Amino acid sequence: MSVDAAARPDPGAVADLVARLCGAYGERAVTSRAVREHHSHGEGLSDPALPDIVVFPHSNDEVAAIVRLCHLARVPLIAFGVGTSLEGHVAALYGGVCVDLSQMNRVLEISVEDLDCRVQAGVTREQLDAELKGSGVFFPIDPGANATLGGMAATRASGTNAVRYGTMRENVLGLTVVSADGRIVRTGGRARKSSAGYDLTRLFVGAEGTLGVITEVQLRLYGVPEAIAAAVCQFPDLARAVNTVIAAMQHAIPVARIELLDEVQMDACIRHSKLEGFARRPTLFFEFHGSAAGVREQTEAMQAISDEFGGSAYQWATQPEDRLRLWRARHAAYYAALALRPGSMGLATDACVPISRLADCILETKADIERSGLIAPIVGHVGDGNFHLVVLFDPNDQAERGRAEALARGVSLRAIAMGGTCTGEHGIGWHKLDVLADEHGEAVDLMRAVKRALDPLNIMNPGKTVPL
Amino acid sequence: MLNPALLAALGTILPTTSILTAAEDTRPYECDGLTLFRELPNAVLLPDNEAQVVAILKLCHAARVPVVARGAGTGLSGGALPDRNGVILSLTKFKRILAIDALARTATVQPGVRNLAISEAAAAFGLHYAPDPSSQIACTIGGNVAENSGGVHTLKYGLTLHNLRRVRAVLITGEVVEFGSEALDSPGYDLLALITGSEGLLAITTEVTVKLTPLPRDARCVLAAFDDVASLGTAVAAIIGAGIVPAGLEMMDRLTISAVEPFVHAGYPDDAEAILLCESDGAPEEVGEEIATVERLMKQSGATLIEVSRGEAQRRKFWSGRKAAFGAAGRISPDYYCIDGTIPRRMLGPVLQRIGELSLEFGLRCMNVFHAGDGNLHPLILYDANRPGDAEKTQAFGAKILELCVAVGGTITGEHGVGVEKIGDMCMQFAPAELECFLGVKRAFDPDALLNPGKAVPTLHRCAEMGRMHVHRGALPHPDLPRF
Repeated sequence: MSVDAAARPDPGAVADLVARLCGAYGERAVTSRAVREHHSHGEGLSDPALPDIVVFPHSNDEVAAIVRLCHLARVPLIAFGVGTSLEGHVAALYGGVCVDLSQMNRVLEISVEDLDCRVQAGVTREQLDAELKGSGVFFPIDPGANATLGGMAATRASGTNAVRYGTMRENVLGLTVVSADGRIVRTGGRARKSSAGYDLTRLFVGAEGTLGVITEVQLRLYGVPEAIAAAVCQFPDLARAVNTVIAAMQHAIPVARIELLDEVQMDACIRHSKLEGFARRPTLFFEFHGSAAGVREQTEAMQAISDEFGGSAYQWATQPEDRLRLWRARHAAYYAALALRPGSMGLATDACVPISRLADCILETKADIERSGLIAPIVGHVGDGNFHLVVLFDPNDQAERGRAEALARGVSLRAIAMGGTCTGEHGIGWHKLDVLADEHGEAVDLMRAVKRALDPLNIMNPGKTVPL
Repeated sequence: MLNPALLAALGTILPTTSILTAAEDTRPYECDGLTLFRELPNAVLLPDNEAQVVAILKLCHAARVPVVARGAGTGLSGGALPDRNGVILSLTKFKRILAIDALARTATVQPGVRNLAISEAAAAFGLHYAPDPSSQIACTIGGNVAENSGGVHTLKYGLTLHNLRRVRAVLITGEVVEFGSEALDSPGYDLLALITGSEGLLAITTEVTVKLTPLPRDARCVLAAFDDVASLGTAVAAIIGAGIVPAGLEMMDRLTISAVEPFVHAGYPDDAEAILLCESDGAPEEVGEEIATVERLMKQSGATLIEVSRGEAQRRKFWSGRKAAFGAAGRISPDYYCIDGTIPRRMLGPVLQRIGELSLEFGLRCMNVFHAGDGNLHPLILYDANRPGDAEKTQAFGAKILELCVAVGGTITGEHGVGVEKIGDMCMQFAPAELECFLGVKRAFDPDALLNPGKAVPTLHRCAEMGRMHVHRGALPHPDLPRF
């Protein structure tokens, strides 16, 4: 990790700020090493960088007051949810103040009639699910991890059912954000449409805390479908599984989820999640939402397509608990992959390409993996053209880590060359800063200009998202 | 009059036939669809390739001359109104459809391609471009990007923003930048969202990649009549509350019906206080089920007449009335002024009642059409520009309606943009911290404010000067309202 020492804030200013925050927030301002350690990294590659202090605010006004202090002292500030991001988003590269929003965890309003809700940034996905239970509506974005909704907005999270419901980009209606100078800004709102002013909501969604701190999120909700069915279908080889997905998209079957697991990932999930009755073969997990007739029609159409490509008979999971088990296994894929080789670490890739290039991209990547001699299961939200590798390596073996990074970089560059992106949903953080320029060229200059315009002192999560 | 040296330099970039300066040639460009505001342009430039756009912008940037981009000129908020000191950059010669990728379901087109032309080209692949503003036969995709246009199918298929993959554009410095990508997501700040709806203030679009949507296998439309607007509002709430996302959900009031019906013979009942059109599309079984539910909910809400379209011809006929509403306004009145505000759906009844009262107070008739699903209201104030005082009364009436929208928790523009028309109203909608974010974005793209100056985002100074920012001790009026 290379951090420019000169960019660190003045130690005197930091010490003074830490003392002030401790005075103002008492037990909610913590400087113990264990807590700072916990806030020094997300998941994925852990190259920790400790903040000087962690503060747990309870309100928009408290966040604004903390940001104003940081602004005056010119000390960095990093917003933190639960630390499930994968690209080093929360590492305090230059020290400073970590604002942990997990105690801002109230669901402020649920409006079934307007199909929306407003939550504080620290509400987690599972907490919102629990609060919505029985109301007839649900929030579909599900990145697997039990992330906070503030963190999901900040990283523009996606998930297994983005193919039907979109990502956070489509599902955040408005935000409350504390700007870099400590003012409370409201963007978007209840209105389904507004064409006044620039789209600040989407500017802050995915900005990874580099333009402001998200403190409240207005979310779009959906009616719980009348019928839901999940199915598993297995294939003789990877190409046929991928081509089934492409054909499904071609026929515009509105599947809610369509997930690919290659035979290595399937093997890992069978072992890790004790899935029974499945073969270690390339596999698709499906979920269908709609009216009873609609689901029947979708599944028949889908079966006809997978039959054409030599897919197995469908194994159905119609009971909620069976479905849950299936999707839990899918969500545990990352941990299952790590368990394939105890003691290893995983480097997750996040390629996303146009559907028309998906088969080429996955099959060429599979060949790369085989050549590399590394273990790297493939799993993906293939309906969106998005897939992941978890490249396993021994953290004590620098040479192997080098080979893992080379494999991952190759996947990123191939995706970009095919008109896609190296970051379909995990974001940039600081691990992927270098690839941003490969992909975006001149637009990076503009992103830099936007960053400078909205955070002229560069105190909001410095060193992330946009290379300055 | 444009500086002769600049004009000469432009002459080295464009053929003389592509530079219009004579008043008889530039007159058609003096306004857009909002005819209340007019300004004869100094010069109209008609480039036909990106290199020319780059060269023009570099020249104007160096000479500090404002540039106003223009598509078909169908905008309704004066976004394409010429700048007194600037030039009009018309993109109507950028007419080519460059590629259609049926597998990835995208089309790459030049900005001057008409909205409907994309769908016509995609039809061969069973696809279409979903956003369908009423002006779709004329408006261009470049203009749609600038305004983030919607349409009657926005409720289900989204605005322009939701149907874009990539925009290629030129900055005022002449730099060419691509926003977004062909894939689902694109890393870094969402500049594509920023550029969409930016009303020509950030960059000039030269190429657009849009998402295409499969043509639905089946589509049917329910026409329902109501004796009062309140029960229509109940029906809308019941449909949305049942978790149904109709492909379209549109309301028209009595005056609109009576203007439209003799004109297009859409089959609307002439004795209804208001009608609701609700479309369902998708697989035939699903459409059948959804239509049955919609019919039941409408009946429960007090619909006096319900008719389901039988066949494609009748479905199109039902919609033809809605799409012709503006044209019909033009038939029954010399001039009309289209207002664009949003309100929470549940406020429809009280808002329409208040608009009715205002109509009597101002002595001007007002037709109401409403994208009921998204809460987007379009009152059409009918007036006669040749009658002294009418134009002023119309503007005052319009301003009252927008104030009403904000007061009930809505916004000052749902889809037509701010342009010059609503720049003062922006001060009412946004707090200084929010306006400063807008201005920061503008500075990042165009620090000299040469692209479409005086539109869309007011300076703080301007808000203070207009006295529209009634900030008392740092508190905004109606602090409890969701402000977007």
